[in-house]
Amino acid sequence: MQDSVVMMKVDDFLNWGRKNSLWPMTFGLACCAIEMMATGASKYDLERFGCGAFMATPRRADLMIVAGTVTLKMATRIKTLFEQMPEPRYVISMGSCANKGGPYWQHGYHVLKGVDEVVPVDVYVPGCPPRPEALIEGIMTLQKKIANERILRDKWVKHA
Amino acid sequence: MHNEIANSLNSKVSGANAQAHIATVGDSSITVEASKILDVCKVLKTEGFNVLQVITGTDYSDRLEVTYSLCDFIANRDLLLKVKLARGNGAGNNKDTLPKLDSVTSLWRSAHFLERETYDMLGVNFIGNPDLRRILCPDDWQGYPLRKDYVVQEKYLDMVVNPAHKINTADHMFGKKLKEELGDPKKVSVSWKDSSGGDAEEDAKDGE
Repeated sequence: MQDSVVMMKVDDFLNWGRKNSLWPMTFGLACCAIEMMATGASKYDLERFGCGAFMATPRRADLMIVAGTVTLKMATRIKTLFEQMPEPRYVISMGSCANKGGPYWQHGYHVLKGVDEVVPVDVYVPGCPPRPEALIEGIMTLQKKIANERILRDKWVKHA
Repeated sequence: MHNEIANSLNSKVSGANAQAHIATVGDSSITVEASKILDVCKVLKTEGFNVLQVITGTDYSDRLEVTYSLCDFIANRDLLLKVKLARGNGAGNNKDTLPKLDSVTSLWRSAHFLERETYDMLGVNFIGNPDLRRILCPDDWQGYPLRKDYVVQEKYLDMVVNPAHKINTADHMFGKKLKEELGDPKKVSVSWKDSSGGDAEEDAKDGE
């Protein structure tokens, strides 16, 4: 009996579960998506972080990796997809284009200057495109962020 | 090759006014009258150029040029066919003010999307295209982006295209410093907006 009992805070328990089962959305916009696919494939193996189950619908996903150039035409769609994701939801902005417009930052008439103009971003991954290691570090940074969340306190305890 | 084709076009299509431009560097081309483009393409198709590779265009500030790249797989030769058009008024989203050109979709089905792209980017009204809508830009887009006088819109829907807080002034200062060090503004191409409100690109033009 003693061996089967684990004592921990509820917050920690929830965060542990959530951070180790981040399901990203199958969603790529440009060349960064190729690196994202490489990260998901066998060599870098995103499944080690519980993060390899790319969901084909936003309604099952926790994480949106914005991998690529966000055009103005696409920005409205990204906003819709983000709104369709259930909470708690997270966004990783991957690559220079999604961070700040990248090479299109002044003369790109059609490019949104950073995806944070339309959706809240948790982690920015720099690079053009970032290597799979960089994306993995971005995901691990997000996991650390989730591990420090106080979801019960923030949700239900009013005086916190 | 181009001279013979131009001569045969002139004899077969009245008013085609085909002129061959033999380039010493780059690709040679044939320019024809814009109103005769459909007749010219019909003749060329029967003469072996039966594949339409691409339709594209260029804005030369005083005129638009639409280029048809035709290919003859049997004889292994290809041809650049050009027409010159007046620019018309490319502001807004109005097809009536655009230059008109006959569509070649009746000859090549592949011309459909190519013409839509040329319409979207340069604002050429292809008469006879079955579904002339924008293909890359959203339907409610204003203006034709590859035109030289295209003005980048301030806002699209509720999104600011160039938010001031996203402009990196450090990059501009880098270019400005580089210009001063080299002493010749022509050597540095810096087109970033000046933090004081002036346009660095215009400053460079003043120096010329």
